[in-house]
Amino acid sequence: MSRFINDYPSAEFYDELIGADGQPRDASRALFDHLDALDAAGLDERRQAVDAAIMTMGVTFTVYSDAGNIDRAWPFDIIPRVMSRKEWDRIEAGLKQRLTALNLFINDLYNEQRIVKDGVFPLEVLAGSRNFRAQCMGITPRFGVWAHVCGTDLVRDKDGTVYVLEDNLRVPSGVSYMLENRQLMKRLFPELFQSSDILPVDDYPTRLHDTLAALSPRQGQRPVVVVLTPGIFNSAYFEHSYLAQKMGAFLVEGSDLVVRKDDCVYMKTISGLRRVDVIYRRIDDDFLDPEAFREDSALGVRGLMRAWRAGNVGIANAPGAGVADDKVVYAFVPKVIQYYLDQDPIIPNVPSYLCMYDDERDYVLANLDKLVVKPANESGGYGMIIGPRATPEERAAFADLIRANPRNYMAQPTLSLSTAPTLIGDHLEPRHLDLRPFILQSDKLYCTTGGLTRVAMKAGSLVVNSSQGGGAKDTWIVDMGEE
Amino acid sequence: MLSRVAENLYWMARYMERAENTARFINSTTQVLLDLHRGASFGWDVLLKVAGLDDLYKEHYATPNEADIMRFLILDERNPSSILASISSARENTRTFREVLPMEIWERINGLYLYIRDNAARATQGRSQRWEVLNGVIERRQSVIGLLMGSMSQDLAYQFLQLGRNIERADMTTRIVDVNSAVRLPDDAASAEVARERLWMTTLNALSAFQMYRQHVGVHVVGPAVVRFLLADPHFPRTVRHCLGEIENCLCDLVDYEVPMHVARHAWKRLEAMRFDNLTPESLHHELDQMQQDLGELHNAISRQYFSQRHMVNLAEQAVVTQ
Repeated sequence: MSRFINDYPSAEFYDELIGADGQPRDASRALFDHLDALDAAGLDERRQAVDAAIMTMGVTFTVYSDAGNIDRAWPFDIIPRVMSRKEWDRIEAGLKQRLTALNLFINDLYNEQRIVKDGVFPLEVLAGSRNFRAQCMGITPRFGVWAHVCGTDLVRDKDGTVYVLEDNLRVPSGVSYMLENRQLMKRLFPELFQSSDILPVDDYPTRLHDTLAALSPRQGQRPVVVVLTPGIFNSAYFEHSYLAQKMGAFLVEGSDLVVRKDDCVYMKTISGLRRVDVIYRRIDDDFLDPEAFREDSALGVRGLMRAWRAGNVGIANAPGAGVADDKVVYAFVPKVIQYYLDQDPIIPNVPSYLCMYDDERDYVLANLDKLVVKPANESGGYGMIIGPRATPEERAAFADLIRANPRNYMAQPTLSLSTAPTLIGDHLEPRHLDLRPFILQSDKLYCTTGGLTRVAMKAGSLVVNSSQGGGAKDTWIVDMGEE
Repeated sequence: MLSRVAENLYWMARYMERAENTARFINSTTQVLLDLHRGASFGWDVLLKVAGLDDLYKEHYATPNEADIMRFLILDERNPSSILASISSARENTRTFREVLPMEIWERINGLYLYIRDNAARATQGRSQRWEVLNGVIERRQSVIGLLMGSMSQDLAYQFLQLGRNIERADMTTRIVDVNSAVRLPDDAASAEVARERLWMTTLNALSAFQMYRQHVGVHVVGPAVVRFLLADPHFPRTVRHCLGEIENCLCDLVDYEVPMHVARHAWKRLEAMRFDNLTPESLHHELDQMQQDLGELHNAISRQYFSQRHMVNLAEQAVVTQ
């Protein structure tokens, strides 16, 4: 038995690396053999090396607070999360299935709305969706695809089942950390990468570039691709810059772009204006174009919607794609997959209760102490309540919110999120985690190998968001030679 | 290249150059002050005059003294030209264009920032520590330059870095040469002679030019020869003439360079017309002042041509580059 897991607590939850028998799972055995070969100081040495590397590489994210914006070093745990390729292949198929169906769904919503007419998706849900953009009606973007980049959050419950927790179809972030985590691990444990078959992740920037390039209205020419960022104060600025660099794209702010009378988008260069073919935008719809959406937006580009509508520029994700990134719409995704693909969902949804329906709302209100309740349109873990962890007063206050605006809330049972060994001080302790793979779609479909594993660094905590004290691990998909 | 990125590159290079120049100037002044004749009133406030920061200093501090001046020049963030503030600005600028630089450059610049952030306080605790910390700044900044030269294509981004660095460098050279007009020499002729020679040695040292001066001009440190060397020598990399030459080379690699080039040529002509033999402290000060104005004009011309957003918006309905 590995000395690192001698006193590892026995499975109260599903552990990603340690089986119910207290032994490393097949896919993580090589990792523990390697850890055992390190001397006592070895692990700490490597952790210090990683902390130093993170500092000089400037891998940071920005936290907003009253005290000003603080650039925090990326909290990284050196124990990877390991999964066998066999299991991963099934998950990957499920993710591709899901995004394919979601894109068919979004395109239908903005065009014929067959799914509504056929009674599968209720009109009232659509009507209540804050991310539905009437301005997009009648548009079919290239390939009929609206969400080109999707970050889907997966969790594993106590019995080992992997569920989709949510789909992020607006501006999902985190992929740069996935890539940087791997760089760090390769610096740290080069030997392991030689001895085990850990699948690489670093083709993502190339695939992202190809996904975007396919959207260019001027096919046959080398497209001008830009990453549109809200600027240096955005919490994901590091990622915007990172991806632009890796793709050889221009990193632009709204003020760098202008839409001329010909309804084409140009960027302001030292030699005048240059036409832009594809915009990978990392700005929410609301701020994209003051002419079409929020008038007070200083981040966006006036006339961008006009240019997009005229087919003169590709925008990823397309404006309005967020309609399917709504936690109430989420509950319908299994039906959406059935409806468009005539297939059963490969990865199940977490069972969900919609507060818009009287009977489900009554159940939610009666069982608030057992459920997690989420608002439909928030991300980053904001505005939700974890019933079992909340005080009776907090629950009562939340119940009022639900009654006031039932369409805005959905509830799920509190899952027993899986754990993985995490280095705390000089030993390993279980910490809860999730997984965010990134899926790309334009002319082709692509899924990252694994994804970003986010881990709640506080004992017992279920909150993995980096804005709220979460950290990350490298994610290893290990080819065990199985069919 | 985006105008905003070009402007940020340009300023990043200026800030980095400024930080290194300030570090060098503090170190060389410290060396010379140690063995200066007592009769000469060469105070630490000379450092403030060179940087053009005397007024800002007076807003925040009482009388000029070594400890306060060092604090002000090294780590006071209320002084945008302090070493810490310059490096911090350079780093913030670099963040906005990390995608156009080799990845390693960012790591080095970030490393330089972390170094000065963690050591700036130590640099204000005595002369030997100051020497060591500032040397650390110079070394790290030099490693950034080395990396730029060795790992970056001489593309547009590179040209804007060069432009910023050379304008800042030329400006700093005129300021350092100008220091001498701010110093009162002792009254008796013999002491004055010694003090004057010391001063010109500081000037050369501050620009790391002492050795090259000796090799290429002569062993004696004489005012007019030093001024000629530092302003008009074509080969030493910190002379005004050399910097102007570099600036012209950069401009040639850019588009629409006519207006800035015209301004650069004008500065060049003034330098060529300058006579060094009959300079009085007053006439030298006047000439240097003119040169600083020329460099200011050059900055404005570059800024209007390549950075100005207003200029761009006017262009929006005019010609479009076809790739």
